[in-house]
Amino acid sequence: MSIIFFIFVTSLLYMLAKAGYKRIPLPIFHPLLLSPILIIVLISLLHVSADQYLDSASLLTHMLGPATVAFAIPIYKHLPVLKKYIGTIVTSITIGTLVAIFSSFLLSLLMHLNNQFLVSVLPRSITTPIAIEVSKDIGGIPTLTTVFVILTGIIGGIIGPAVIKRFSIKSTIAKGLALGTSAHGVGTNKAMEYGEQAATFSTLAMIFAASLTVLWGKFLIPMLVSFIG
Amino acid sequence: MKIITILFQIVFIHLFLFLGAGVKALIPIPIPASMIGLLLLFLALCLKMVKLEWVEQGGNWLIAELLLFFVPSAVGIVNYDEMLSWQGFSTVLIIGISTFIVMGTTAFIADKIMIRKERDTQ
Repeated sequence: MSIIFFIFVTSLLYMLAKAGYKRIPLPIFHPLLLSPILIIVLISLLHVSADQYLDSASLLTHMLGPATVAFAIPIYKHLPVLKKYIGTIVTSITIGTLVAIFSSFLLSLLMHLNNQFLVSVLPRSITTPIAIEVSKDIGGIPTLTTVFVILTGIIGGIIGPAVIKRFSIKSTIAKGLALGTSAHGVGTNKAMEYGEQAATFSTLAMIFAASLTVLWGKFLIPMLVSFIG
Repeated sequence: MKIITILFQIVFIHLFLFLGAGVKALIPIPIPASMIGLLLLFLALCLKMVKLEWVEQGGNWLIAELLLFFVPSAVGIVNYDEMLSWQGFSTVLIIGISTFIVMGTTAFIADKIMIRKERDTQ
């Protein structure tokens, strides 16, 4: 009973937030910010614990699996363009993933994060299921990494359009690559607003960035982590 | 009718997720099952074993409503009391600054390459 109720309520609040954000694109109305806040309020009013809620809504989280598989479709549809721009894709995403890891690492040192947080924050820019694997690999806490991945998505989705404007990015391909590399699936979702081409390159960036980060997790990140002892 | 098509296609897409899990069970590779499933579906499409129409509507729906599937995990943040501490605040700040830098750098580099490419072809 609570399963149907919470899936229904979550979907409803999400749709409301989505519709609201379309009309008034204020950061607070971002569906990934507003709907969780409303749900947190709701479950505390109903005296339901977060774990009980997560348990009931697990079907929704499960859908991240088939959704990841489904990204094969836009890649397949746009294969000719992807082949044409393979150099741009590989160069920008390789640099993007390295910048993600090094900037997170240096900022964490600067802000004196404890080691647990520091290690868990390093794979934060890639898609959840793969970030969890990398986190395990490098000795982070997978659940904490999940939280950081979500935060990255929320922030990336909100600041995306402003960053693109600020750096006066013209090419649709560049917009897509930047959103997918920096903010995984949530960035890709935002890229859809710039058209199907941006969404495709964002998808590809998301997948390529995740695969590369698995590689960085094997040798580069352990090297960084060994510095802090 | 459209809803039924979407539902059936989502079930069909699950097949590739399960195949991905199967491959992972046979060969211990450090890639999640969903990523292997993506590769398998991509190959099946390229080899014309699966027609685009069989998966397109369901797949598009999954991708369009992706944020919904992140909502429960976002609610899960309340389980981390540390997020309300100074560490948590610092982390949010770090994530914000770093995301800005990553997005800016990637966009800037890709845009420069694209502009040069266009100039070369002219």
